[in-house]
Amino acid sequence: MPYDPGDDVVVIHQPREGAASGTFRAFAATLKGLKMTFSRAVEGTTTIGYPEEKTPVYPRFRGRHKLHRFEDTGLEKCVGCSLCAAACPADCIRVVAAENTPENRVSAGERYAAVYEINLSRCIFCGYCEIACPFDAITLGHDYEMADYNRSDLIFTKEMLLAEPLERTPLRTPDE
Amino acid sequence: MPRPVVKEITFTLDGREITAPEGMILVDAAGKYGDTEIPVFCYEPKLGQPVGACRMCLVEIEGIPKLQTGCSTPIRDGMVVHTQTQRVHDAQRAVVEFLLINHPLDCPVCDKGGECPLQDITYGWGPGTSRFIEPKRHFKKPLELSPLIAIDRERCILCYRCVRYSQEVAEDYQLVLQQRGAASYVSTFDGHPYVAPFSGNIIELCPVGALTSRAYRFRARPWDIEGAGTVCAGCTAQCNVELTVRDERVLRVLSRDHSEVDDGWLCDKGRFSYQAVHAEERITQPLVREGAELHPASWEKAIEAAAAALKKAGDRAAALAGGTTTNEEAFLLSGLLRDKLGSSHLATGVGGEQPLDVVRALADPKLQATVPDLEFAHTVLLVDCDPIDEAPVWDLRIRKGVRRHGTKLVVASARPTALDQNAAATLRFAPGGAEGFLVALDAALSGDAGNLGGAASAAGTNATAIQEFADALRAGGEEVVIVYGDRALRGSAGRALLNIASRLNLANVANAGLLELPSTPNGRGLREVGFAAGHGPGFSTISAPGHGAEAIASGLASGDLHTVWLHHVDPLRNYPNRPAWEKALGTAQTVIAVESQLTDTVREYADVVFPAEAYPEKEGTITHPDGRVQRLRQAIGHPRAASDVPGSGVRALWQVISDVARELGHSAGTAIAGAVVSKRVFEAVPFYNGMTLDGIGGRGLRWQEHATFEVEQSDPFVLAVPASLPAKGESELRLGTFRPLWAHKDVDLSPALQFIRAKQVVELSKADADARGIGEGDRVEIGNGTRIPGTARIRAAIPAGSVFVAEGIAEHNANVLTHGIVEVHRVGPGSTDATSIPIQSTPAVEGRAEMPPSAGLPIPPREVT
Repeated sequence: MPYDPGDDVVVIHQPREGAASGTFRAFAATLKGLKMTFSRAVEGTTTIGYPEEKTPVYPRFRGRHKLHRFEDTGLEKCVGCSLCAAACPADCIRVVAAENTPENRVSAGERYAAVYEINLSRCIFCGYCEIACPFDAITLGHDYEMADYNRSDLIFTKEMLLAEPLERTPLRTPDE
Repeated sequence: MPRPVVKEITFTLDGREITAPEGMILVDAAGKYGDTEIPVFCYEPKLGQPVGACRMCLVEIEGIPKLQTGCSTPIRDGMVVHTQTQRVHDAQRAVVEFLLINHPLDCPVCDKGGECPLQDITYGWGPGTSRFIEPKRHFKKPLELSPLIAIDRERCILCYRCVRYSQEVAEDYQLVLQQRGAASYVSTFDGHPYVAPFSGNIIELCPVGALTSRAYRFRARPWDIEGAGTVCAGCTAQCNVELTVRDERVLRVLSRDHSEVDDGWLCDKGRFSYQAVHAEERITQPLVREGAELHPASWEKAIEAAAAALKKAGDRAAALAGGTTTNEEAFLLSGLLRDKLGSSHLATGVGGEQPLDVVRALADPKLQATVPDLEFAHTVLLVDCDPIDEAPVWDLRIRKGVRRHGTKLVVASARPTALDQNAAATLRFAPGGAEGFLVALDAALSGDAGNLGGAASAAGTNATAIQEFADALRAGGEEVVIVYGDRALRGSAGRALLNIASRLNLANVANAGLLELPSTPNGRGLREVGFAAGHGPGFSTISAPGHGAEAIASGLASGDLHTVWLHHVDPLRNYPNRPAWEKALGTAQTVIAVESQLTDTVREYADVVFPAEAYPEKEGTITHPDGRVQRLRQAIGHPRAASDVPGSGVRALWQVISDVARELGHSAGTAIAGAVVSKRVFEAVPFYNGMTLDGIGGRGLRWQEHATFEVEQSDPFVLAVPASLPAKGESELRLGTFRPLWAHKDVDLSPALQFIRAKQVVELSKADADARGIGEGDRVEIGNGTRIPGTARIRAAIPAGSVFVAEGIAEHNANVLTHGIVEVHRVGPGSTDATSIPIQSTPAVEGRAEMPPSAGLPIPPREVT
């Protein structure tokens, strides 16, 4: 049986053919659109010239991770407890702990992270690691420029995370 | 002894009627039948009587004004118990708050964090906050309780579990609680390291992170790891274990409690020797000898070389199997030799094989005792074996029976056993006199005075002693379990043992019978799948029986045999008479070895070496001495070869044997998967019929419970008096050997166990030592012609005239001594080398010296994909 659309059919009435309506369509409607275009053109640009210019971020923006040291002793705050790895929903953190010795004291506790890796190609920047950390050793910084040519280069090691990060990203000022 | 009869009673738990066996402890009954968890710390049924130390399990019982500890209250009919009242909750919160007063908040650095009962109970029943603001109690930490165990006394909640374990289960009486009240701490009495065969169990018992494994220290957190259940193939006891795996490495071994096998305990060898799996020394690719040197070779080349040698050998090929050989490997290898090459020269045990009718009769399901029978029998008889060395958890099982169930233990052995103190009667015979003893005991039980005297003197003892011993054996009751080592079974010993069993009527008494201690971990399985000179799969008769181990050695030496396949066997280390084996392997045309490390056998004699799998890499079945077929499950991948070419590393051994069979054109012996071989084994062995890998599962299946195995019953054998032992001179001693628990190649390769590696000791009696001017710990030499050095140990329980030395050890092994009569000389005073036994002599209140750093952490490279 052929499909019968019944009352659902809405008949669209096209503009009538003729000179007046043709002229309207050719000029008036176009000018109406151009009016909006030109009125915006004088407002100036709203895009920014990335990468020469960068978007400022909010203070609580969650960018690339940083590991911290104690300022006075220089010891790492991270004790390798692996709680960040447990909290990580993307499973992108790997921690292998080792024991501090008197000769080789790395962190303040009994243990330290011998291996601390974050796979930033997997990270979803949720910040749970920062919340889980009992020693405030890991925080999420403001850097969002992490593109690279190799996936394996996106695995950040402890040395990379501990290094003083480049402050490449401007912070948004309170009135911005 | 009859197991306790249970009567069902009904009690009320939180307003519900619960039916449970009478006398059950309340927390158990609530958990098992009432689906109500009552938190506990100190309660652990495996440790025996409850102590009620931690007060965590307080419950309200109607009719008793004060709260009661659920862990020490047996349930009674009509009892009304409340576990969810405000009063109980307040008490539980108070207890947790008290426990946490001195407990440090170092969970992030604590190895127990994440799998800690204290954490769990604090979350579940704790108050959430603490009112305690004063400084906590501080101890120096962490301290070395032993080279294997670290103790952190700040974390200890004084639950007494470890102390009770040491006092009542392991019975080494080393751990004690020092001081009183708030100053209490766990320690050894004199501050010595807690070194004992079963010390590692306290790590698992500790409900907090006070006792932690030093080998596992900081290696992983619970969410980093996976558990892989398998069976420890380190010894005959085949304890069920769970391996902790991280990044394809075994990091820890935990017990997988199986009351029919291991009762939830592990020995330290099983717990710590996993480190050998990842040792640098492991062979990870095939080696083939070219000229004088072994060179790494491709699998194709090695398989070709092995197949060519076997083809040339034909029925002059022989094979020895031992160690972690699975039933599947033994089945394929014996099939290859027997069906394709026509050779039955297959040997497993170090001794000879008994005649087929004896082997069959000993496998009679009616005569088979089980491991739980050791605990509940009226009497347990040990014949020339020491469970602590050969199946360590059986030692704990027997101790438990004696302590808790009044089992009577009688020991007849040449060397004093670790269980002598618990024995109701002990009998010492001369080394090598086991056969004479069994014949004499049979005569004593049957009242054959003629045989008794002769056989008793052949065993180096006397008729009165044997008669008294027989009376003691009979006096306990009808349920008798006889544990015998398979090296006792020489000559007519097997028939004598069967006679004894029939005179004690063991076949018709439930829970009684014989239990063998094979000399290799899977000794029973190898025999049952037909890896034996005298019979095929399922003890079937074969047309042409082959040689046993000793005959294989002499056949190789004389050139009668051509090629030998050593499957997980190192005859130079583990078989008696090393000189004979050196000659045999030197003369053999081709020696094919399956080995995990470059042993002397491999380095000097092997022509083709296949890398051996470690037990966590194996897939297959093994058979427990009581007939329980258990599964080995693969926990980690096979190691790659140094060259890292895919496929060049270690391969599954069933696959290797199958490839060799294919190369030889033996299509019946090839397989495409390990499970296919298992299926074939279950079909070939009549009493394994109907088994499946799924059916075996994680707990194993005893074939005696599912299958029948008919044995022709015979009248008691008429036995002749065995030949008397060779005479010895006045200044000479009779040599006996024993295999220490630690004499294992995996122990040698495990860094954590280096301190306890078996070294040669010469055990002799006080009288003999005094006659030679030897003092405890002196350096001595023993031998007759060939001499080996050792350290003297004087044991009062050794009868004069006997001396015992360790075999199966890496250096100065006793198997170079081929004479049964030896002389012992003092060489010099004992060594003051501090590495011999680690003793720390300065106990302080807060412990001993600071713990030395643990070994460097081998961090595996992360593979980037």
